[in-house]
Amino acid sequence: MSPLVWYHLTALLLLSFGLFGLTSRKTLVGMLISVELMLNGAGLALVASTRLTAALDAVGQLGALLVMGLAAAEATLVLAIILVVFKRLGTTDSEAVSFLRG
Amino acid sequence: MSMMEYLAYAAFGLYLFLIVAGGLAAVLSKNLIRSLVGLIMTLFGVAGMYFLMSAPFIALMQILIYVGAVSVLIFFAIMLTRAPGGESGIEGSTPKALKRGLLALATALMPAVILGAIIIRKTPETLPLKPETALTVLGEFLTGPFALSFELISVVLFVAMAGAVLLGFERRKSE
Repeated sequence: MSPLVWYHLTALLLLSFGLFGLTSRKTLVGMLISVELMLNGAGLALVASTRLTAALDAVGQLGALLVMGLAAAEATLVLAIILVVFKRLGTTDSEAVSFLRG
Repeated sequence: MSMMEYLAYAAFGLYLFLIVAGGLAAVLSKNLIRSLVGLIMTLFGVAGMYFLMSAPFIALMQILIYVGAVSVLIFFAIMLTRAPGGESGIEGSTPKALKRGLLALATALMPAVILGAIIIRKTPETLPLKPETALTVLGEFLTGPFALSFELISVVLFVAMAGAVLLGFERRKSE
């Protein structure tokens, strides 16, 4: 298998880890960690597919940089939401925070 | 294969090991601090892969932003959500843990199998590694064709920070 396939399979592995964690975790912080894993996989796939093909190099690298910026913004906002949820409910268990359940 | 190629594959294997071990710790550990340490290990593995693709700028940004900033934020989130009487950052177990684990495994495996088959069959041929892109080229690209996304990401970051501060104030006012 070529190196590009290996890089993409690694990115896919990160996506699978993230999906597994996101569905199996019970705390909001654990779910945040899983989302960060998935975003890392996206960045890795972006950079690999522009570094190792004829595509324009800057697109992939700057795309990965934008993904990192979005991840930082998302982590900040999730931290604030977790703190508010904890203050109001005394727990960050995702099953306790289900007012909108039908 | 030449000596350098062997070394490259060895480095790739090392980074892959870091990513797999860290990822497993991140999603399976009951202790959230351990799972954060696993995430940091994975982040370093991904940074190593960026170095291997000779994209050192992105690798250093990965370490700076993720390891330096995002993991500290997650650490604060773990520290500040200690349940009264309980220890910080431990996930309790529920009676439905096995069912939950199996469903999560199915959720993870479905895209992995489908996308994995597509990747193995359809990925184009790998070209020899291009020379490293200069930082000035990246900067010109960021302020030229990518100018709109550059401005938008700053707006998104500002809104996120302002929203976080707002949520913090709202919490204090309601007491």
